[in-house]
Amino acid sequence: MNYDCLIVGGGFSGLTCGIRCQGAGLSTAIISAGMSALHFSSGSIDLVGYDHERKIVYRPFEYLEKFTGAAPDHPYAHCGVETVRESLFFLKDVLAAEEMEIHNNGDENHFHVTGMGTLKPTFFSQRSVFNSAISQAFARKAKIAVLNFEGYRDFYPELAITNLLNNSLFRDVEISTGKLVFPDYGDPQKNPFEYRSIDVARIFDTIQYLDEIAEQIKREAGDAEFVAMPAFIGIQNYKKHHQILQMLTGKLIYEIPALPPSILGMRLDDALKSRFAELGGVLIAGDMVKGGDFRGGLLDHVHTQNYGTARLRAKAFVLSTGSFFSGGLVSDARGIREPIFDLRVSATSPRSTWHSPQFLDRKGHPFLEFGVETNGRLNPLDAGGNPVENIFCTGALLPHYNPIREGSGGGVAVATGFHAANQIIKACG
Amino acid sequence: MIDLENISFDHCIKCTVCTIYCPVARVTHHFPGPKQSGPDTERLRIKNPELLDDSLRYCTNCKRCEIACPSNVKIADIIQSSKWKYFKKKFRIRDYFLSHTDLMGSVAVNYATLVNFFTGLPPVKFLLDAVFLIPSKRTFPKYARGTFRKWFRKYAQKKQAAFGTRVTYFHGCFVNYNDHSLGKDLVTVLNAMNIGVDITRERCCGVPLIANGYIGKARKNARYNIASLQKAVVDPGSRIVTTSSSCAFALKYEYANLLEMDNSSIFNQLNYITRFIYDQFQAGNAPPMKPVTIRAAYHSPCHLERMGGVIHTIDVLRRVPGLELQILHSECCGIAGTYGFKKEYYDVSQKVGGALFKRIERVRPDFVITDCETCKWQIEMSTPYKVLHPVNILARAFER
Amino acid sequence: MKRIETDVIIIGGGATGCGTLRDLALRGIKAVLIEKNDIASGTTGRNHGLLHSGARYAVNDLESAMECIAENRILKKIARHCIEDTGGLFVTLPEDDPGYHQKLVEHCRYARIDCEEISIGKALRIEPNLNPAALSALRVPDGTIDPFRLVSSNVLDAQERGARIFTHTFVTAVIQEGSRVTGVRCHDTGTREDFEVYGQVVINASGVWGQRICALAGVELKMFPSKGAMVIIDYRINNVVVNRCRVPSDGDIIVPGDTVSLIGTTSKKIDYSQIEELSIDDSEIEVLLADGEKLIPNISRTRVLRAYSGVRPLIAVSGDVDGREISRGIVLIDHAARDGVEGFITIAGGKLMTYRLMAQMTTDLACKKLDSSRKCSTHREPLPGSELKSMPGKHIKFFSGIPQSVVGSTLYRHGERVRQILSLSKRNYALICECEMVCEGEVEYAIRHLNVKDLVDLRRRTRIGMGPCQGELCSYRAAGLFARLNVATSAESNGMLVDFLEERWKGMKPILWGDGLREAEFTHWIYQGLFGLGDVNLPGEEESL
Repeated sequence: MNYDCLIVGGGFSGLTCGIRCQGAGLSTAIISAGMSALHFSSGSIDLVGYDHERKIVYRPFEYLEKFTGAAPDHPYAHCGVETVRESLFFLKDVLAAEEMEIHNNGDENHFHVTGMGTLKPTFFSQRSVFNSAISQAFARKAKIAVLNFEGYRDFYPELAITNLLNNSLFRDVEISTGKLVFPDYGDPQKNPFEYRSIDVARIFDTIQYLDEIAEQIKREAGDAEFVAMPAFIGIQNYKKHHQILQMLTGKLIYEIPALPPSILGMRLDDALKSRFAELGGVLIAGDMVKGGDFRGGLLDHVHTQNYGTARLRAKAFVLSTGSFFSGGLVSDARGIREPIFDLRVSATSPRSTWHSPQFLDRKGHPFLEFGVETNGRLNPLDAGGNPVENIFCTGALLPHYNPIREGSGGGVAVATGFHAANQIIKACG
Repeated sequence: MIDLENISFDHCIKCTVCTIYCPVARVTHHFPGPKQSGPDTERLRIKNPELLDDSLRYCTNCKRCEIACPSNVKIADIIQSSKWKYFKKKFRIRDYFLSHTDLMGSVAVNYATLVNFFTGLPPVKFLLDAVFLIPSKRTFPKYARGTFRKWFRKYAQKKQAAFGTRVTYFHGCFVNYNDHSLGKDLVTVLNAMNIGVDITRERCCGVPLIANGYIGKARKNARYNIASLQKAVVDPGSRIVTTSSSCAFALKYEYANLLEMDNSSIFNQLNYITRFIYDQFQAGNAPPMKPVTIRAAYHSPCHLERMGGVIHTIDVLRRVPGLELQILHSECCGIAGTYGFKKEYYDVSQKVGGALFKRIERVRPDFVITDCETCKWQIEMSTPYKVLHPVNILARAFER
Repeated sequence: MKRIETDVIIIGGGATGCGTLRDLALRGIKAVLIEKNDIASGTTGRNHGLLHSGARYAVNDLESAMECIAENRILKKIARHCIEDTGGLFVTLPEDDPGYHQKLVEHCRYARIDCEEISIGKALRIEPNLNPAALSALRVPDGTIDPFRLVSSNVLDAQERGARIFTHTFVTAVIQEGSRVTGVRCHDTGTREDFEVYGQVVINASGVWGQRICALAGVELKMFPSKGAMVIIDYRINNVVVNRCRVPSDGDIIVPGDTVSLIGTTSKKIDYSQIEELSIDDSEIEVLLADGEKLIPNISRTRVLRAYSGVRPLIAVSGDVDGREISRGIVLIDHAARDGVEGFITIAGGKLMTYRLMAQMTTDLACKKLDSSRKCSTHREPLPGSELKSMPGKHIKFFSGIPQSVVGSTLYRHGERVRQILSLSKRNYALICECEMVCEGEVEYAIRHLNVKDLVDLRRRTRIGMGPCQGELCSYRAAGLFARLNVATSAESNGMLVDFLEERWKGMKPILWGDGLREAEFTHWIYQGLFGLGDVNLPGEEESL
């Protein structure tokens, strides 16, 4: 099998890269071993939310201009701030083509509310998380009702409200709670107390239940004009059904990302995969690249678990295999490695330096900053220290940034995927 | 007792993605989903097999959980092997007949008209339902008269010697006993591509045996098939093809992962037919095709998805001129081999397939195309559309 | 200040203290127990959970061995749901002294421990994962014991018979009138209240912390703490206890325990000042895994869940001693005789296995001081939940409709009490912890009846968060339930959640590699990346949303 561009890893970064390449006319395939970390994401796209002292960054691009100068190894520095910006708005267009509305606060970050009632700075959010009506309602300190289904085990509004009220922004906001009851979902054997977000999302996806839910929301929210619920308002028909619910209740309805699986993240995943397929890209799901052969310093082909000895060739290869979680990096008691090609990895030793003493350490954990060393073009280095010019590494596989401490996971995934694609398009064109 | 060499459940990090994509958990709470049925409770079963949940039986072994899993956990394999390792063996005449497809087939083909007539009769169906717990709503696949092998020996075998290149065809029970036309079409297609067809000795691949817990018999069949097929592919260039995606899946993956048999001698040479044709097309062996002007909806079977073979079928079909192909969103049809033939699972089976049937209705195609015979039965029973195999389409395109 | 009157005050909620509480309650004597943390949170809950047959001590310490086998037989009757009668093996590896095998056989015979010499083939049938290179094998009546369940059942029984217990409560002073101890002053860390308890006898059962309690009473007692580290494997690799047939040393035992297996232990003297913050070195883990690998090949390839360590409370009778050479003998001190302090008893030394015997001895002494002639019955009376022989099938049938795995797991943890925990209400059996099958009903039962004050306590009663994911989903759910059940405020629940995650982290840090690292990354992502739990009090979000 021959492609122009073969991407290993179907997560946020791989898909962005694939859409860009296929959209530019390159024949592109993505091999993905299992579902990506988007399924556990907030569904908002963070660019950079915190500076090195973990103070909140309000104007991310301005901050990055200064910051990338001082941190030349940071993935954003490799991309350049202009490319970062370009990549984000490329993504916005891609999602718009899939009728997914993405909102941003101009060039500034906005906040989204987390399941624990903390606020996170982010750059892009879905319509049910950030839009002008929502920010106006926050600004005039409108009364909020946090609603939840009774007995739902994956969200506890009490905990979130307590933290929210501790935040100076919400100090004089009136917040109430209310309980919804699951509509009769047909199968009497279903145990509603074991529903996951996905089960609830499927109820919201079914139009016949909306009237009943809307009635309940109106009753429980009382005079609150602003209703916050865990993010489960549909997965296929979310856009339409969110609007219908707002219309039926006459209230603003806000989605809070709760315990995974993340419905907001899955919507992104769906939209990106659908876009890639629509453009004619090939997605090979549930397969794993086991290795490849190099010829003249370049990667010639790879082989996979399912295709056995068959060779998958391409002019350019992208590695967006993620961090430890997704298997892009593996570790054992002795060290850390990149499992497919054994590329040069940046990591510290001994093992006791991999983590911070506290689990919720605000400085984050060093192991999150490990990854495959690359040059500025994102080419990894082979055993001899020479760049492999037809491999590009993107996303969480990259070192020298901490997605959680910086609040930069989504942005780095998109920007590096896009940056790699640009170079591949140039090389192939 | 557990095998420390083979502990994929240990890699599960409880992300629950598999449960999102499980078609059975979606429609019934009787099944708590692959994570809980597989890696979660496997830990408990190792402690004490009495903690085995009855709900495991609801797993259709569609393998969609394994495709979704980011940790490479063989979730469906864990569930299947738990079924036969821990459930008390209870002989059920129904399960015996449903699973021993070659035994049933070899008898039924001699009385095909009679069998087909009887299995279609309402009183017989009532009886099957009441006594054998085979749902009366289920339509039985029709048996053909005589076997495909007999036909092949009589009418096709001689001509094959004329071809320089030949492949071995693992036809499986369905072609042998139920639908000769698919086998005949395969001969047509490969001959048109200047490739001869051989058959060799084979037994049921074992898919229904595994599903019904006849592991000993499945292993026996596997051993027989591996021995027979490896004789056919002594030359590293030779190839084996199947027209059943499930047979191919069993021969390649279930043998190794579930039955723990060494099938490495045939693994790389055995492929589902569209993968073989795809490779031939890529290599330039692509004879001209006649237009086949139909509108078709393509349904990708679960096991083909798991093997990563869907891209080949789609690519091959897209080359057929005139064929207007609508790719259906990938979903399980619900039949899962013999699963849908059991009264206790019939409703679940139909509910699982519900989404797919609706999508087909929306497309209103002339035909549905799919690679798997049991998907074909399910779709033909549950929608008004006739279902073809990709090879049927190619045969029309290559018809002289 | 609040004042409580009782007959006997026990300081320390380990196995001995709680066993004594139950013994007193069974004899109809009023008692109050004060524990600074949670029951079984100290040494009791930090060992390998071996139900000794005594064979491990037979060669070096015959007295302990004989105590063990006697208690072994009693516990198999009174604590059925806390123990598993798995049996144990002693295997000699090629590098071990082959003579030890015979010595052990002889000593076991002398101590009347059933010890059967079996062929390697038979040993492999009993434990298929055993190293096939083993030279010889012995079968002994070892088993496993769950210290959390054991202690909790003792407390439950005592409370049902009128005893009182205060956990998360420090003893800040020992009240004395002249040379007589008359009570203790306490500080409840939850309510932040001080109160006093008065009684005729104060029993110091606080193990290694007993040195401090003695100091409060103006008595000198010197403890020599010795640290033992263990690692826990993700699942149950062996079904019988596997011992190395040699002089006891590091990494020579693998014990199955509920859903996991455990490799034990190391032994290292530590300074008394280190007993609160025990660290584990990489070298200890390496030794444990390498030696574990010798007994069960491939064990080091499996996921290591946690590493933890406990302190052996050894009392030096004379001079400095090495942690392992000393007898784990029981030390019962009547301070009236030793130091002239009336009404004050210290019970120390011993081991989890002999907790009941220690409790009996202590209670006997207390009774003498109280002039009570009531006799001990703890060797006869089964613990609550252990009344009948466990028959999962029966309960699974009774609760038909609830998944077998849930009924069976609850039964494992609570014995016959399962009937008071589960119900056919869907809410009741909805799973909170999906690894260990802890349902909402069990969480509620534990919170309401088993002295659970926070998530860590809940873990000890239910195994919540003890499975492969170490609390990835269930810790949030359980924290939420505290608020939902109105047993904690939301702010308290939030705090518990943070504390629980940090507590889990302590055991994960030393073994952070492979799938454990992936798990940690995922959990960190959820709680910090998605929830911002570490930012709960982060100021500075002043600008607009």
